[in-house]
Amino acid sequence: MSRHKLVKGLDLDEELNDFDGGVEDDYDDGVSAEDKEQLRQGLIRVREVIGENGDFTDKEIEDSLWHYYYDVDKTVNYLLSQKAGSQPKKSKKKKGDAVGTAAKDFFKDSPWLNIPKERCGEILIEPLYPRGRLLGGASKADGAPKSKLAALAAARKRKENLKPEDDQDAPSSVTLLDRLGAKPRARKPDPQFSSSSSDSQRTPAEQEKTTQARKYPARKSPSAEALPAEQLTEAPSNASEDLPSSGGDGELERTPAAAPSVFARTIFGPSAESHAPAHGSADSRMSKSLEYHTEFDFTVPSPDDVVIKAQSTKRPAQKPGKQPAPQANNDRSVNAIAHGVEEVAIEDVRVRRKNLDVLAEFGKLKAKNAANFVVIGHVDAGKSTLMGRLLYDLKVIDQRTLDRYRKEAERLGKGSFALAWVLDQGTEERNRGVTIDIAMNKFETETTSFTILDAPGHRDFIPNMIAGASQADFAVLVIDASTGNFESGLKGQTKEHALLVRSMGVQRIVVAVNKLDTVAWSQSRFDEITQQISAFLTTAGFQSKNLAFIPCAGLTGDNIVHKTTDPNASWYTGPPLISLLESSEPVARALEKPLRLTIDDIFRGGVQNPLSISGRLDAGTIQVGDTILVMPAKETATIKSIEVDSAPSDWAVAGQNLILHLSDIDPKYLKSGDVICPPSAPIPCLTSLTVKVLAFSHITPMHVEVLKGRLHAPGRVTKLLAELDKASGNVVKGKKPRLLKPGAVARVLLEMEEAVPLEQGGRVVLRAGGETVGAGLVE
Amino acid sequence: MDRRRVNGPAGGTAPPVYASTLTGKTASAANRTRQPNEIRKIFVKTGLTPSASGSAYLELESSPATHHSKSLTNRTPALKLTCTVHGPRPLPRSAPFSPQLLLSTRVKFAPFAARQRRGYIPDASEKDLAAHLETALRGVLIGERWPKSGVDVVVTVLEGEEDCPLEALAEGNQGGRIGGWGLMSILSGCITVASAAVTDAGIDCVDLITGGVAAIVRQPSAPLQLVLDPCPSDHEEIVAACVIGYLQSRDEVTELWAKGNISPSSSGKETKPLCFETLVDLAVEAANGARRVLVEAIKESTEAKLESSAVG
Ligand SMILES: Nc1nc2c(ncn2[C@@H]2O[C@H](COP(=O)(O)OP(=O)(O)OP(=O)(O)O)[C@@H](O)[C@H]2O)c(=O)[nH]1
Ligand SMILES: [Mg+2]
Repeated sequence: MSRHKLVKGLDLDEELNDFDGGVEDDYDDGVSAEDKEQLRQGLIRVREVIGENGDFTDKEIEDSLWHYYYDVDKTVNYLLSQKAGSQPKKSKKKKGDAVGTAAKDFFKDSPWLNIPKERCGEILIEPLYPRGRLLGGASKADGAPKSKLAALAAARKRKENLKPEDDQDAPSSVTLLDRLGAKPRARKPDPQFSSSSSDSQRTPAEQEKTTQARKYPARKSPSAEALPAEQLTEAPSNASEDLPSSGGDGELERTPAAAPSVFARTIFGPSAESHAPAHGSADSRMSKSLEYHTEFDFTVPSPDDVVIKAQSTKRPAQKPGKQPAPQANNDRSVNAIAHGVEEVAIEDVRVRRKNLDVLAEFGKLKAKNAANFVVIGHVDAGKSTLMGRLLYDLKVIDQRTLDRYRKEAERLGKGSFALAWVLDQGTEERNRGVTIDIAMNKFETETTSFTILDAPGHRDFIPNMIAGASQADFAVLVIDASTGNFESGLKGQTKEHALLVRSMGVQRIVVAVNKLDTVAWSQSRFDEITQQISAFLTTAGFQSKNLAFIPCAGLTGDNIVHKTTDPNASWYTGPPLISLLESSEPVARALEKPLRLTIDDIFRGGVQNPLSISGRLDAGTIQVGDTILVMPAKETATIKSIEVDSAPSDWAVAGQNLILHLSDIDPKYLKSGDVICPPSAPIPCLTSLTVKVLAFSHITPMHVEVLKGRLHAPGRVTKLLAELDKASGNVVKGKKPRLLKPGAVARVLLEMEEAVPLEQGGRVVLRAGGETVGAGLVE
Repeated sequence: MDRRRVNGPAGGTAPPVYASTLTGKTASAANRTRQPNEIRKIFVKTGLTPSASGSAYLELESSPATHHSKSLTNRTPALKLTCTVHGPRPLPRSAPFSPQLLLSTRVKFAPFAARQRRGYIPDASEKDLAAHLETALRGVLIGERWPKSGVDVVVTVLEGEEDCPLEALAEGNQGGRIGGWGLMSILSGCITVASAAVTDAGIDCVDLITGGVAAIVRQPSAPLQLVLDPCPSDHEEIVAACVIGYLQSRDEVTELWAKGNISPSSSGKETKPLCFETLVDLAVEAANGARRVLVEAIKESTEAKLESSAVG
């Protein structure tokens, strides 16, 4: 076999060296220059000491030096003792010896990375022969980068498999175990082999054989006596006849092996059924396994990988100043040890509470007004583009970044989305040109500092839009004015979004009639849209004094920061969008109320802060050192530090967007949507609640998803208690309603599957089957 | 919750439980069909997961459904475990020097492992099992041969038996007894399957360790009885039980967990006194039984490996 020869010629050392590098976590990938120098000097010194005493190769000496961290004495000792050790042993080993001398013997047999040539010759590349395994993952023989250690382990493993092969005269029916077990007795002690195979190279099974004779007599269990050693070798025939038998009087003398269950057979395939695999069928089995391989190409990222990647690329840009912690969620198991060590290393420093009077501090600080606004509208209305333009014109985004976006977007054939890329940071979002999750961004004008919450317009991502809208003080409704699109938007999410923000307590709306460049800045089109929308918004409960309309074009930047210069638009004399935003009067902050913060995101904020959360402070104040209660877990935590708008601060007040670094709590008690509150005034956790709802579509007693900000919880409408009059709020007399029509207002009873942190006045949204069915107020 | 996707419907439905299945109390109160000294048959196979250094699958057969109960719910549940061993692999650079192989064990119940769905967050019983498994394995691995390395042993319980008889479940007292007797069988299975996987990974051990369980049970209208490998749903009450991690050829015990109401040593002259010592002896017996199967399975997989390398 030519391939066989080829493999024979392989130099294992070279192979192993090839494995260097590649994997980052190797503890010795690549020997540094420093190490090399030390090695060289050590080599010279060792040679001096040993003198003519031994014929060791440079490689051997270097390896032992490496192993002993360049300690010359130890190396010399080791080398000499290794030489002595290769003479036959006199004393019989005592029990437990294996453990004591293990390290030494281990390296004797296969010096670090220097496996004797005569053995390397037999190493085979693991053949494709199927082993009846599950498919998937990386196979060990594929030459993927491995650490030296792993490679060594693999080599040792292969060697163990192969060793008996040089014992060809044994009848082939004898099992490996028997052969291994018999070897020390059957063969003449060969200095190389007998010492190694009886000390370090023993497989567990082998050891079991050799140690069987010297069992402790102290405690002989009855069954151990009833188990003579030869029974082990007898077992195979025994087992095969035992398989089908029902084992009516099955004493323990029989091997209690079971046939695989149906489940096991599906895992292992047909090979599990027959104990002795049929050799003839090998080919068919192989071809079968190849068939399976084609089902999914594992070289491309799995769907999950794609999502994870998208998530991890999006996060950091959204919240500047925080380090992404993809590891925290993904493979805890893999780095469990490392993780544990890290955690030990960082001693939690007790944070002292400064007992600040936060309100006084806040009063002293004459901060600018702060306002959060959510940008809503039908999909592709140009929300992200509008906001990207706003940020660009305000110089929050520099020319270079935008040019880069433009180039990359053009490469994807989505040149018109360059401005939207400022907010759409995820790969998936960019490739598809659709916003998926809320994107946050900040900018400041002379009077106010704004936080943009760019909501997704697609109906599938309404839960994310709700999360964003719940943090907003006012809303910017973007409407696509181009022919046909306005109408379809009205049927789509334009109305739904407007209703949602209204039911979440937003009072003020700026309506940006966008893409007017496509209709040549036609005034009649603008008026038509203004009229329809304002009629709709007034019926939805917005006061007309809280509505503002502005014609604009996000793509070209007209009427965003600068007034339009287009001659067709000369009819518009009002201010640009930015002035409308600024004119929004500051919202009253609920400073005096007890602390409430709904967790938006949980992440690892760097080495110092293993656990951090972000969110908007809905009510109350907070300061460093405060003890807080996490609901519904009912666990307390301590605030280690606070970041307000990514700048460290000792305190924070309602209305600010925070990152809190926590200590004294296990991350498992936190999830997004949980509420942080003071231990003195905890938010109640309810399983059943009455809600005054406004129905968007038909509501019957049914399963719904209850959303409040990031909180999602499954629940059920169990009872429709009473229908209410829309204007007065009084109960409509008559029978209990059995069905709520769209637009109806009613009091309903909600049963939650798990307790959810909600209190009176909380605004919730009810959704079912991917559609919003209603919005309500907890009573 | 995944916020980027349309999620499944909010309210799940539970499968219906029919009243007729809840009434056959006498039928299945004590339906052990095995002899007291007989353990459930075991199926072990190594090399299940190609991407792991070593892996194994173990199942304990479920006893056949008794003829008077036609419903599926009355079947004694089986035990199905998989184990993967990752490593020995180098510790990350940041980890401090360790002269020994760092062993870390995890036991995870699949959400569908038991009648009551499990959460994904490790709960107390899983951590408990992992700790027990770690002590059991630490005694067999020759850690000195792998300095600066770590090995992860992960056991997944695909199906784990319930703690109490099904009737009790149906009556609604599910709480309280979680983490009871069923865990002992699971631990014993974990030890055996981990041993198989460790051997498959080629990690040096002093011996093959296997797990065994024995218990003192109370049968309806019968004296206390000693049984091997108890299945909690087979017996009216388990008085005491003991799990052992046993090395047969060295006659050593690396893990012992006993609980229940039991006298420490024999007082009378009965042949099989109901004392702790007998219980341990019986657990050892059960472990020896499991060992036979394990040895078979390892032999078989080694042969297969040999064959395949001969072909290649
Ligand atoms: N002609 C013209 N096209 C525009 C204007 N504003 C946006 N567009 C285009 O409309 C398309 C959609 O823009 P986006 O900003 O991604 O829309 P969106 O509202 O953020 O979409 P979702 O976030 O997916 O709901 C892009 O191709 C833009 O180039 C505009 O003022 N004029
Ligand atoms: Mg967008």
